[in-house]
Amino acid sequence: MRYAIAIVALLAGCATPPSPEPEPAPEPAAPPPLAPRESIAVAGLLETARTDAAAGKLATAAASLERALRIEPRNPRLWQELARVRLKQGQYAQAESVAARSNSWAGEDKALRAENWRLIAESRRARGDTEGAQAASEAAEQTRR
Amino acid sequence: MRFALLATVLAAAGFTLYLDIRVRSEFEGRRFALPARIYARPLELHAGLRIAQADVEEELRRLGYREAPPEGESGWFSKRDNSLEVALRPFVFWDGRQPAKRVSVFFDQGKVDALRDAGGAELALARLEPLPIGGIYPAGNEDRVLVRLGEVPKHFVQALIAVEDRSFFSHAGFDPRGLARAVWSLTSDKVQGGSTITQQLVKNFFLTPERTLERKLTELVMAVLLEIHYGKNEILETYLNEIYFGQDRDRAIHGVGLAAQFYFGKEVQHLGVAESALLVAMIRGPAHYDPYRHPQRALERRNLVLREARDHGGITLEEYAGARGSPLGVARKAGMGTTPYPAFLQLVHRQLRRDYDEADLRSEGLRIFTTLDPRAQDAAETALAKRLAQFDRERRFGQPGLEGAVVVTDPQSGEVQALVGGRDARYRGYNRALDAARPVGSLLKPAIYLTALSDPGKYTLLTPIDDGPFVWKSRGAPDWQPANYDRKFHGAVPLRVALAQSYNVAAARLGTDLGVERVLDNVRRLGVERPLRPFASTLLGAVEMSPFEVAQMYQTVASGGFRAPLRAIREVTTQEGRPLTRYPLAIEQVFAPEPIYLLSAAMQDVVREGTAQGLARFLPAETAVAGKTGTTDEQRDAWFAGFTGDRLGIVWLGYDDNRAARLSGAAAALPIWGDMMAALAPEALELAKPERIELVWIDPQTGLRGGVSCPGATEVPFVQGSAPSERAPCSGAMDAAVEAVEKSVVRAKSWLERLFGR
Repeated sequence: MRYAIAIVALLAGCATPPSPEPEPAPEPAAPPPLAPRESIAVAGLLETARTDAAAGKLATAAASLERALRIEPRNPRLWQELARVRLKQGQYAQAESVAARSNSWAGEDKALRAENWRLIAESRRARGDTEGAQAASEAAEQTRR
Repeated sequence: MRFALLATVLAAAGFTLYLDIRVRSEFEGRRFALPARIYARPLELHAGLRIAQADVEEELRRLGYREAPPEGESGWFSKRDNSLEVALRPFVFWDGRQPAKRVSVFFDQGKVDALRDAGGAELALARLEPLPIGGIYPAGNEDRVLVRLGEVPKHFVQALIAVEDRSFFSHAGFDPRGLARAVWSLTSDKVQGGSTITQQLVKNFFLTPERTLERKLTELVMAVLLEIHYGKNEILETYLNEIYFGQDRDRAIHGVGLAAQFYFGKEVQHLGVAESALLVAMIRGPAHYDPYRHPQRALERRNLVLREARDHGGITLEEYAGARGSPLGVARKAGMGTTPYPAFLQLVHRQLRRDYDEADLRSEGLRIFTTLDPRAQDAAETALAKRLAQFDRERRFGQPGLEGAVVVTDPQSGEVQALVGGRDARYRGYNRALDAARPVGSLLKPAIYLTALSDPGKYTLLTPIDDGPFVWKSRGAPDWQPANYDRKFHGAVPLRVALAQSYNVAAARLGTDLGVERVLDNVRRLGVERPLRPFASTLLGAVEMSPFEVAQMYQTVASGGFRAPLRAIREVTTQEGRPLTRYPLAIEQVFAPEPIYLLSAAMQDVVREGTAQGLARFLPAETAVAGKTGTTDEQRDAWFAGFTGDRLGIVWLGYDDNRAARLSGAAAALPIWGDMMAALAPEALELAKPERIELVWIDPQTGLRGGVSCPGATEVPFVQGSAPSERAPCSGAMDAAVEAVEKSVVRAKSWLERLFGR
């Protein structure tokens, strides 16, 4: 598939490959697909979790997110939301691991990745790991760029 | 003479006083011991869920839902083409009470297509109540569901009074006529009768079932004392909760609340007249009038109860006429005893004991919400039992009597979905899944390769590993000279082939090169807690583990390098539903994503072209299972460990006495894994590709960069910068150009992304 696309690109474009001209040419081969937007089931649970978290009901919020993760275990936004809740709960090690888990499903979603690194930085800072926090902040910056 | 009289009176008074203290303290302090109730995971229906209509129907049937036309209260479902209408019962979950509601579920090609409520509006989620899968019981395995007197239908109470104790509301604890009969029955050999409800309660509560005059007298005094201290309603309510209604295997059914559920699948307040009469009929002799074993006898006595109730004004003539002709109407007997899943319950019980006292578990009526997936459990039990029976018949691997164990988990969360502790899944003894410690053989090899792949500067999936003759010498130990399964040496083979073919010599050489301690460190990081002997032979699996420990080890690989402790419990609440403990999802990143990705890809090769190729007979290639076979010395143990997108499974087979056999992971354990997963229609495994992993076309002949012009070229993952830079001779200018374009497209895309701030 990628070959076919590349060949089409070759024939359609110029023979000298590196062309910075962003032709509205064929989409490049899809990277491992981004998690599509949530199903309504998961969107509902995510909403409930956010409301609960805002009201300080953190354990309940986490439970809703776990419920949602059972439905869509590869949804990086759910993992990220869970990282946010763990951070609020003061479970910094968990927050960091869960944000890293979100990163592993985040694909090309840079904004999401940057936010995960920011959460990791915050967790590390809270644990007194200034150096690690600094590294994570830099990773966040780099991802955003 | 007067002295003697006085002494007797004093003694009698003293004895009465003693009984009075006993009655008061015990009755007052007495709370019924309620077992902890254990539930499977609730089935959550939502659009897109991969489940067949028949599986949802089966789940509902097991929950005691009746297949009925759409009408009436909750607890039924009605089938149409490609859809189900379900009247969900109310249920108190960990996160609150879910009211009764109507849901229509639409199916399309093995998936839930949509959910609608009674008004036709789209529903996001419908959570079925969880299947009760057993309990942790008080002494005597007594089980009961407490009810208040007000919840018990009037006709039940009136039928009870009419049959068991007509003067209950007026007597003082005993009935003189009944007493006379009782005395008579002591001297003759007739069935004892004539006890009032109060006396029956005293008998059940305080006394042993001997029949002596002394005991009868004590019972009488205590009954009178009970009546003095407590009201009729209090006594009646206690009686209704205490009374014995028969046996469900090893579980004793006590109280009208549980009896209503057990025999009719309903709450006590919904009992009909005929149903109430049957339960009242059974009080006299639950085994004798067992409606399953002696339906005719039970029916006759039920009708006698109805007549008595009618004659004494307990029910109207119309009610009598309506009830008399109706069938017994008892529910399809599920007959689970204390539990149908003893192995899983053992795991639950062990995990609970870390946080709860045994006494509380057996008396406080806690509600335990677990992770058991009944579908996965049934698939595991069936696959194991079926194949073992077949192996017995064929004597393929040795004498009949081979044993086995299965563990199934959710690879993302570490939740245990199924656990089978032996070929007889109902057996409540030795739990091989948790307690058998068996050599793991080649199942340890992934740890060696993971250690190597963590060093991408030195090892890639293509690095040649020497599978030539090898001797390991260490001081104080005999030379170690591992051999391959096929007794041959294979020379230099690419790393991924060495794993795919499970070459022992290559793995031993690689492992000792890396350092035994370094590899064992990674085994520990994968989640193995037991001590590991730092010998080279440990690398080839001369280390004993339970299937459960192996599951923990593979879990970490399946979840991308994040270790999640295997959990069987989600939540614990009080009897009323107040949350007590939550066992949250907890993960810890213990490996970088890149080496785990490479290892998982190599384990997919094991299935695609290696020792687990046989799996193709069970699952389509697209499932892309990652797996590993394991066989131990003298073929005593057979293992298969593997994961798909949504399930991780471990299968072990062997003889309990550890005798030499003809087992192999591929021939014996793999078919069970395959049968089980095929029944569950697993999700395909799509590995999450880390940013720093690139896929490079490789020419299989040279192991160098190839392309379309190289026959049989395949894409191989590498950590960025570790792929070979040299091109294979077969790879022409065309391939280079294609690669350059691909790169530029990626560059252009990221340039666009920056431009639009995606």
